[in-house]
Amino acid sequence: MRSVWLGSLRTHTRRYVSAALAVAVGVAFVVVTAALASSTRSGLAAGIDAPYRHADAVVKRPDVDTAAALVETHDASPVGWTDQPVRRGDRVLANHVEIGVSPTEPAWQWQDLTAGRFPVGPGEALVDTNAAKAKHVALGDRLRLGTGEQRLDVTVVGLAKAPTQLAQATVYVIWPDLLTWRDQVFLTSIGVAGDTAGIDHAQPVDTYLTDVRTELDRQVDVVALVLLLFAAIALFVSVLVIANTFSILFAQRMRDFALLRCVGATRRQVARSVRLEAITIGTLASLLGLVAGFGLGDGIVRLIGALSDNAPLGPVDIGLGWIVGAFVIGLVVTLVASWLPTRRVLTVTPMAALRPHEDVEPRTGAGRLRLALGLLLVLGGVALLTMSVAARNTLVMVAGGGAAFTGVLLLGPVLMPALVRAAGSLLGRFAGPEARLASANAVRNPRRTAATAASLLVGVTLTTAVLTGMATARDAITDAGDTDHPVDLTLTSTTPLPGDVASRAGAVPGVAEAVGLAGTRAQVAGRDVVLLAAPASHDVLRSTAFVPGPGEITLPADVADAVPDTVTVTVGGHRADLRVVTASSFSQGALVTQQTLADLSDHPETYAVWVRADDGADPDDLGGDLGALAPDADLENGLADRAWVDLQLDIFTGAVVGLLAISVLIALVGIANTLGLSVLERSREHALLRALGLTRRGLRRMLAAEAVLLSVVATVLGTAIGVAFAWVGVRVMVAQAFDDVPMVLPLGQLALVVLIAAGAGLVSCLLPARRAARVAPAQGLALD
Amino acid sequence: MTQTPPTTTVETLAASARGLTKTYGRGDAAVNALRGVDLDLAAGTFTAIMGPSGSGKSTLMHCLAGLDQPTSGSVAIAGRRLEKLSDDELTVFRREHLGFVFQAFNLLPMLTAGQNILLPLELAGRRIDGAARERSLLLADVLGIGDRLGHRPSELSGGQQQRVAIARALVGQPAVVFADEPTGNLDSTTSAEVLDHLRRCVRELGQTVVMVTHEASAAAYADQVVTVADGRVA
Repeated sequence: MRSVWLGSLRTHTRRYVSAALAVAVGVAFVVVTAALASSTRSGLAAGIDAPYRHADAVVKRPDVDTAAALVETHDASPVGWTDQPVRRGDRVLANHVEIGVSPTEPAWQWQDLTAGRFPVGPGEALVDTNAAKAKHVALGDRLRLGTGEQRLDVTVVGLAKAPTQLAQATVYVIWPDLLTWRDQVFLTSIGVAGDTAGIDHAQPVDTYLTDVRTELDRQVDVVALVLLLFAAIALFVSVLVIANTFSILFAQRMRDFALLRCVGATRRQVARSVRLEAITIGTLASLLGLVAGFGLGDGIVRLIGALSDNAPLGPVDIGLGWIVGAFVIGLVVTLVASWLPTRRVLTVTPMAALRPHEDVEPRTGAGRLRLALGLLLVLGGVALLTMSVAARNTLVMVAGGGAAFTGVLLLGPVLMPALVRAAGSLLGRFAGPEARLASANAVRNPRRTAATAASLLVGVTLTTAVLTGMATARDAITDAGDTDHPVDLTLTSTTPLPGDVASRAGAVPGVAEAVGLAGTRAQVAGRDVVLLAAPASHDVLRSTAFVPGPGEITLPADVADAVPDTVTVTVGGHRADLRVVTASSFSQGALVTQQTLADLSDHPETYAVWVRADDGADPDDLGGDLGALAPDADLENGLADRAWVDLQLDIFTGAVVGLLAISVLIALVGIANTLGLSVLERSREHALLRALGLTRRGLRRMLAAEAVLLSVVATVLGTAIGVAFAWVGVRVMVAQAFDDVPMVLPLGQLALVVLIAAGAGLVSCLLPARRAARVAPAQGLALD
Repeated sequence: MTQTPPTTTVETLAASARGLTKTYGRGDAAVNALRGVDLDLAAGTFTAIMGPSGSGKSTLMHCLAGLDQPTSGSVAIAGRRLEKLSDDELTVFRREHLGFVFQAFNLLPMLTAGQNILLPLELAGRRIDGAARERSLLLADVLGIGDRLGHRPSELSGGQQQRVAIARALVGQPAVVFADEPTGNLDSTTSAEVLDHLRRCVRELGQTVVMVTHEASAAAYADQVVTVADGRVA
């Protein structure tokens, strides 16, 4: 049978290409994951010992007071940072900058100096080389760190790179300077040298570093696991594609198998020959995937390294376990996928070869058992999903979604042809006889149609579910953002601002509305605060939840928590007792009604400007321009915070969709494959159609219509299921965090998904259609 | 039957070929399927092209019917020179002026018999009006398949399939119907029926039919027999 095995492989190699491709992509996915994980692991772990080279012991996560005390009594060096805005002159360079510690003792200095020197005294700063390059900061520049009373003016005396991401900050100042923000400093650790006896929670440096490395590994593992989940989805789609390929190929070769039986091959021999073919394909494809994965993983790491100086990527080192694992997965996937089609080969009788040539038209349908099971799973799944919404249980939701989706896949042979027929008759109304032929072609083999559509369905359902879920979550988050940041940008000063500041703010590009707030300095429960009058017009506000009514005063949460429910407010000789309204979203000064302020102060002056930005205004530019109007005022840039949240959502959505795109890609390879194999099968039919007067272009159009019908119907169904899943997902997961979450359909994105699928369907039919159209009408009619 | 009686005289040519050659392959592998064929087929006649397998009779029919381009020589059908036409023009010419019946695989498996019959009209973009439908029903009745129109090819016997194919070949009122071994897959009784139907098309509808066959019994139904051997008309 060896000659049969080799012969079939030689003859059918081209037909196996797409199956092999599907396996190879899945295997490559796994290898690339391993490559990125190993690179990230070594990149993150590199240099983590740098800050502790001089240390004999380390205290993990000390609070600021402990650290300050240790620095007083021991030879110690804290590692940590605070998050502050940074200005140069009038311009805000960035709103969130990590300010870390630059040790003054040379033995402790762990940053790699690239220019200038380390700070030795107050008011000197070291700046990260890459950040300095990006913001054009040079030696000798004066920077203002922080705002309001917690601010520090520094001179840049050195530029440095951090050997480890774990201790990296953008600006480094000496420890006493960092204590300017004593209440806002977060420390990861403090290294102590010399006698460490009697220090609480001190641990040997090695123990600490091992702990850190373990924690890093764990985090990388979690990310790798998530990536592998997507690889698993891609491999599942591969199984569908390969199983379909084998089914079609074996159906086409049934006569060959029957002939083999005729000339004396046993059932087992035929089966073994076919399985050997699958093993060969799986082996070759897995090897291909390994090679491609190595190349791609290395390429991605290099690309990221070239694009970003800061990326924590080290050398790629894929362990043997990963290599063997990826290879075995590829092989197993191929074997699993070929199992059922192979079993069908066994049922062929030698008689089949003896029958005169009949038109091999494998009209496969769905068994009753399959339909019953499918229906049961759909109903059970929907019941579980309903339950999960009521109980807000994620686990039940996943089980229900899985069951319902599996049910839909099982019902495919009935469901998909029905949908294709409906869509086809709709298309036929506009597109003539080719479209009618196409829809008839698309449904003639229900199981093949279903399997082809299923592979696309998986990716599309997940993608649209993510898109819809994220759009809804984003809407809820934006609403929450309106409450958290009711004003886009605020400038609040502790001294009166020039009278024209509001009109100058209004003239800044990107400002839709600017209003100056009258205010005065006041004593609230013994604290010196800026008392502001809420503006008469609420145009500038995104939420009015925090605006005080008559007899009320809005205080920042930390102040409000420390005072009684009613406070006495004193301005000069005037006083008033006001009820406290807490506003987590309001952090600057105190807010009262205009009447209250008028009662308290005879000469209110402008103490603050509130700004509402135009849609699409750049938050950082706006912050820079507004900050320049009042350099000493405290700038709160809610817009930038919201833009940052938006960016995170974009990155998350983009990453998930990008990862799912790989399985969609495999599915499209599957569609091209099904179509290509069907074209081979139907070459006589195409010749007949050509003889009867179908033009070459008409034939191509017919195949294109078939591909587009298949891909669009699968995509629309996938989108419908995806949106339904997203609805359930939102009810179960997002509704836990937000009260009333209205469903948001990202219609543009969903339409884009359908459009891309249709376009990809078109692309996938290009090669098969060209091939089909080449056949001369007479050629296909010759008897074989 | 609304068909007007044939106004053409016997001398009018439905098809003619001059100096027709067809070579497959190149160099040593070249096969000369046709080596210079001159042929005239009168309108309203039933012609059988006979010859053993490999004689080139199918190639001759394919070239006559515009299914394949000859290597050299000329073909004219209903006064139209085919060798000058592009592939698209040839396709349009086929669907407007020619009908086909093949040995096997005549019908599209996913369409019903009725849909198969109307397919040429549909491909030509003609409106399937009442007259066309009536004509197809009439043809189906004449051919004895009137009650099978809703069935798919896999549910029809071989003879029924061939009769559906004949109905389809006739529905567009073509200048010439080409039949390639139309009885090759049929038993003798069914063969006789199908051949009888073809002959009635010629006698009663004035249709021109060209049939390729290697069976003398089939050729006996024809008005004239052209014998092909080694790529030449004997």
